[in-house]
This record gives sequence, C-alpha cells and structure tokens, in this order.
Amino acid sequence: MKKIIPYITASLILIPLLILLYKSQVLKISLVPQMVDDVWEFHLSVRPKGVVKNFSFPVPKSGQGVRVTDEKFKKQGYTVFSDTNNDSIVMTWASKEPIIRRVQYTARIDIKPVKYKVTKDTTESYPNGLQQYLLTPTLLPEDEEAIKLLEGAILEEKETKTSAIRKIYYYMEEEIQRNTDIKTIHETLITGKGSPLIKAKLFNILARRQKVPARIVVMVRLPELKDEAKAKIRFTFANEVFLNNKWIPVDTNRGYFAERPDSFIVLHHNYEDIQNMISRKNVTYKVHAERVRVNKFNRKEYSKEVAKSESFFSTFSLYKLPLPLQTMFTTILLIPLGTLVLSLARNVIGIPTFGIFSPILLALFFKETSLGFGIIFFFAVVIIGIGEKYILDKFYLLAVPRMSILLTLVIILMIGYSFWSADISFISQKHLSFFPIVIVTTNIERLSIMIAEEGVYSTLKTLLGTLFISLLTYAMLFIHTLEMFMFTNPELLLTIIGLLILLGKYKGYRLSEFIRFRDLVKQRKLKDEKKI
Amino acid sequence: MIFSQLKELGVLGINNRVGRYILRHNNRANYPLVDNKVFTAERARAWGIAMPENYLVIENYGSLKNIDIKLMTYDSFVIKPANGSQGNGIIVIKEVLREERNGKILLRFRRSNDKLMELDELKHHISGILSGLYSLAGQSDTAIIQQKIDKHPVFDKYSYGGIPDIRVIVYMGFPVMSMVRLPTKSSDGRANLHQGAIGAGLNLSNGHTNNAVIRNQVIDIHPDTQHTLSDLQMPFWREILELAARCYDMVELGYLGADIVLTPDQGPILLELNARPGLGIQIANLSGLVPRLEKIRLEAPENLLARERVDYSMKHF
Repeated sequence: MKKIIPYITASLILIPLLILLYKSQVLKISLVPQMVDDVWEFHLSVRPKGVVKNFSFPVPKSGQGVRVTDEKFKKQGYTVFSDTNNDSIVMTWASKEPIIRRVQYTARIDIKPVKYKVTKDTTESYPNGLQQYLLTPTLLPEDEEAIKLLEGAILEEKETKTSAIRKIYYYMEEEIQRNTDIKTIHETLITGKGSPLIKAKLFNILARRQKVPARIVVMVRLPELKDEAKAKIRFTFANEVFLNNKWIPVDTNRGYFAERPDSFIVLHHNYEDIQNMISRKNVTYKVHAERVRVNKFNRKEYSKEVAKSESFFSTFSLYKLPLPLQTMFTTILLIPLGTLVLSLARNVIGIPTFGIFSPILLALFFKETSLGFGIIFFFAVVIIGIGEKYILDKFYLLAVPRMSILLTLVIILMIGYSFWSADISFISQKHLSFFPIVIVTTNIERLSIMIAEEGVYSTLKTLLGTLFISLLTYAMLFIHTLEMFMFTNPELLLTIIGLLILLGKYKGYRLSEFIRFRDLVKQRKLKDEKKI
Repeated sequence: MIFSQLKELGVLGINNRVGRYILRHNNRANYPLVDNKVFTAERARAWGIAMPENYLVIENYGSLKNIDIKLMTYDSFVIKPANGSQGNGIIVIKEVLREERNGKILLRFRRSNDKLMELDELKHHISGILSGLYSLAGQSDTAIIQQKIDKHPVFDKYSYGGIPDIRVIVYMGFPVMSMVRLPTKSSDGRANLHQGAIGAGLNLSNGHTNNAVIRNQVIDIHPDTQHTLSDLQMPFWREILELAARCYDMVELGYLGADIVLTPDQGPILLELNARPGLGIQIANLSGLVPRLEKIRLEAPENLLARERVDYSMKHF
C-alpha cells in the first residue's frame, strides 16, 4: 500500500493536467471562456401626442464603440421603415388609423468606451456635406456682443482649430455651471449657468464661429449598477466637433474631451435633425436599459465551442447543466480550492482556527453578503457572544437553549442592520448564506469558553487565524478567472485531491513550531555550552 | 536555519506526531477508553491500576435534582467532564459548607481558589458538562464527581495551589519522556502548561528534575514559592514509570500520555490518559522526542513485561 501511494498521488495530479493539455492542444478548446463586456438590453417605447398617422423617432446605430444587435419592433399593425444616414437612424411608424398605442423598440447594445487622439488641425474648407454644421443661428445683438467678449477673453488671435476647441471646452466645462432651470442662451450668458442642452448649444455656436463643424448629439445615459432598477432614463446632450477629418466627441456637461465612456449610448448624432421628433410637445417616450451581462465570461459561446469539438467533453460538460445549477457549481467548485488553502494554513503554517471548515464557510458568507458587512457581522456576533456569556451566565441556562438565544440575537442583529441600512440586498436569496450564520453562532459558545479557559490572548489568536484564512479564501473566491477555470475544467478537482494527499503526508515542522520551539533550541544551546 | 536545528535536536512536530506515531499506533477504536474517564476508570479497576475514586457519575439532567443530598456526605470532591481535555471544565471543591436554615440544610462549596460556589452555580456547571460544553467534539457528555486528591508533602515547596501531576509519554509501552507540572499563581492553581503552570523535565533514569520552563522560558526557581526547582527528586519514581508502562497494556495505544498524581497515602495513582499528548514536554526537558521514539522503534526488544520495559527506559534515556 505504501508503495502505490506516490503513484496514485502522481496520477491524480497529472491526469487532469494532461487532459487540459489534450483539450487545448488537440481539441483546440480554450481553457477559459472569452470575456465579454457589459451588454445592455435597451428598450424604448414611444407614443405620439395628438392625432397623427405617422411619426418618427431616432434609434441607436452601430458605429465606433457601439454594436447594436437583436433589434426588435413590435409591428402592432404599423408600417415601419427606417431612414439611415452615415451616423444615425430615424425610424418611422405609419398607420392608416391614428396611432394611439405605444410603439416598442428593443435591441441589445454592446458598448465600449471610445477615445481619440486629436492633433493640430488647420483645415480651411470643408465639403458641402459639412456646410450645414457650420451655420450659426441669429442671436440677439447683446448676446452676440457677449459672445464676442467671451471669445476675446478665452482665445488668442491665431489659434489652430484644435486648440481653440480645447479652450472653448475648458471654458464651458469649468465656468458654466450646470443648472437645468436655465433654458436660453441669453440667460446662460448672463448667469454663467445652463442646462445640458443649452451648454451643448452654446458650445456648438462657439465652435461653429471658429469655423469648426460642430453638432449636438442626443444620448442616453446608462444607469449605474446600484440604481439600475429605479432609474428613470432621460435624454441628455453633448457635442461632436469635426477635427482631424473625423467627428470627435466632446461633453462639457460631464467633462469628456475626445472620449466617450461606455455609460452613454448615442441615439442620434444631430440634434437639429430630430429636435421636433423628440420634443415632449410631440411625443411621450420611456427608455429603459438593463445590463444583461456584467463583464462576464461568455458561457454561451463557450458551450457552443465545446459542443463543436464533438469530444467526450461535449457530453460531460458542466455547461450542459441548467443555468441555476451552473451558477451554484461555479461557487461550489471553489470550495475544494479553499480547503487546499485551509490545509496549507493549518498543517504547514500552523494557523489556529475555530472549527475546521468554518473559515471557508465564513468566506462564502462574506461573498454572499459583502466583505464589509461580513466582517462587521462577524465581530458583532463575537461581541454578542461574549456579552451573552457574561449576562446569561447568571441565568444558569442549559447549553442548547442558550445557544439558541444567541442564534436568535444574531437574527435580531440582521433585522436591525436591514433597518439601519434600508438595504436588503446584502443577503441574497440563496440559502447558502444562512449556514454560515449558524456556523458563526455555534462557534461563539466555544469562543466564550476558550476565553475563560485559555485566556484572551490565545482566543484572539484563533479568532484572527480564522479571519485570516477566511479572507484569504475570500480573496480567492473573487478571482473570476480561477472560478471559470475550475468550472470549465472540473477534472482539476482530482489534482486538488492529489495535492491534498501530499499535504496529508506532510510530516515536517509547521512554521508556527519555529516560534514554539525557538526557545528550546536557544536554551538547549546555552545549557550545552555551560556543560562544556 | 532553525528547521535543521529542530531536526538535529529531534524535536517532534505536530504533523510528525500525528502522521508517524498517533495514526500508526493508536487504533481509533480504543480512543474512548482514554477519552472517556468513566471507561478509563472501569478498565483500570479491572487491571488493578489505582485511580481516584469516582463518587458519582452523572449522565442526565434528572440526576441533578437531588444532587445536594448526594453531595452532602462528602467533605471535598472534584467535578470533571468524562470527555474533557486540557483540564477544561474541572472544578475542585475543597470544602463543603453546610448551613441550617428553616430546618433545611443549605450547601455551599469552597473552591480550591477559595471562591464560594452556590448550589445553583454548581448545578449549572454540571449541566454545562452534560450538554457537551467541555467535551472534545462538543457532543453531550457525562459528569464525574470524583475523590479530591491531596498534595503529597514533597511538593509543598514546589507548588502553588493545586496538585502537581506527572506526565509520562509511553511509546509502545516504554516510557520515553516525563515531566512534572507544577501549578503556579498565574495558572490559577492548575497543572496546565497553557495556563502558566511550570513544566519541569524529569530524568527517566532517576526521577530528578533536569530543567524547568514556564511559558517556554527556562526558570530556576518557582515564581511563587521562590524555591529552586533543580533539586526536586520524585519519590516512588520506579512505581510511577511502571504504572505508566502498564497503561499501554491496559488500553493498547502505542503512543500515549499518562498523567499520574502522587497521593500522600496511596503513592502514585493514575489520574487520566491522553491519546494525543502535547509536545510541550520537549521544551520542559529541552530535548526532542524523535531520537527516543526511533530508538524504541528500531532497537527495543519486543514482548517485554512492563517491568522490563521500564528497566530498558531507565537505562537508555
């Protein structure tokens, strides 16, 4: 038996690695699915006001940094046609009867941030197609005066177009405060405040006066993760200027020059064209955007890839499981890795912990809730546990009801937290998170005994040891690549067993024993020297 | 490198202890014999090995009801969990105070640290034991009310408070290392190294102290009694070692720690056995266990009587 252990261990470790090699080299399957960016489910519903038989509305178009797929229109008996120019699409809905119902448009939008490098630009003349972007509206004489004054203050006599635009941008971004109540250029010039649309309009005028083609873009700002559900999405505005022979985004409201972050979808690139279509006088609209994939690995693509390989792995792949099971296994498959960390920490380093697997359960608990809450909760429970010990000691209660009181107190703590933070999302619906609560609780009673029996110092050491390993495991749980790697290649579990056998066979000293026996070595030396 | 120094001295580490000695030589099925002090006591009686008398064994909460009537007859006793470890959950009552009030006799108990305990507190402690607060794996347990051992006069100068005990590591029936644990003020009168008791290594050949440590630090005098520790000679030394060696035959565990106490009248008696004895004994002796264990494993003759094994150990270690 003794002789075959090394062979068993070696095969356990090596076979999965060979399988990996086979998968990647022979079957040419990638070992981890590709990453995909945020993909948005974009939803637009519009209804014209008044009695009309047709109306138009802009919709997003694929382009630089934007990919629009899966576009769907609910026909609802309308005729739908689109008018596409270089940058934008305007859809038109037409019907024989007056349109009274909302029309719907949905699409998937994959959006990436875009960034440009802008160099000197001294273009003298522009083709006919761009002439419309150079026209300036007629302004009130005093506004004209004010603008001239402004230009005199911020611009020098001879500027390249790029540096002039930059200076205008800086001025607008820094000096004109955002104020949604100010709705005319006149007011803005007087007060130094303006709504996003007015700021965009003023920028447009200033740019065109420098003979730089400029336009206002209509955008949708995508909601942040936390307020995705409740956010009401409205249109917002920014600019584009034609420099270096291309349209460069400029946003004086949010402060982006020559870049557009991935939190904005451009609906139309020329406000002047659609001004009337999107006016609230003519239509009511609702925009809704929801993240369908948050910087995730593309599992769907991967399962296709595996299926295509037509190998053993296409039949026995975790990707074949129903999605909820997949999600569960992604986390569960990391537990063995956690045990590896735990075994290493306990048997090779010698870190003391409460219970054997409680650090791993704690780590899962941290993941299920959040690290901050998890740690606060952990220490709150520890404090409750110690307090309970001192108070309930005087009641002379039997151990089981006593522990149950502790558990109940923990639940009260959770309720209290929920009220305090008004945030119920800290515990997910998964039941997994409740087990650690029980685990934490049962460990507390041992904790209070340990304090009484072995003193605060050694209890604290154990407590910190437990927390340390939990945090280590927790950190590991957050390496998505690792998670996906294990999920994609579950045969690695055998490797883990192999490594655990190796660890189990380890008979050397623990790192902690250096410290423990340090004095033994030192004093033995002294003693031996004395003898000599 | 401290690693190689530890190896050179033959210091036994935890992994090695478990992997090479405990798992190899200690059959799990025999663990209850040492883990449960009630079983140990039964087995010891059959083998004629002296242990403290168990006055009462309390297995359920029901027996707690009239416990005062049962306790009334004793002047002193010790409460301990049958499955306890490291001295956890042990309470020593050195005096039972009886007070008559309204025709009823009320009991109060004076602990070894002079604190007074009410009957309710005592019952609470026992029920804690029963529910498994102090047991090795937290399972429900049995409480033992046991005869209180008195201190042997030889320890008067070496011990503060409680009763010192002698730990003997027995490997395959051969005593391999020994120490005496002397309670101090900081250990609260307990013979527990973790809590600050003194561990004094004893030469196997003659029962004389060879070194003493308190919390890993070498000391020469007892911090409370101010007496030099180097001149302690253990009486009944041979009997102590033979008692320890016979425990191997009794419970058939190859790697064993025997805790022995000296009584003023009965001589050495067995207090308890331990299937996973600690490694601190090496610090108390300033020497490693490995060379001795390996010597026994490789060189010692087999099938010896306990008496012969003690001869071997006294000669070689």
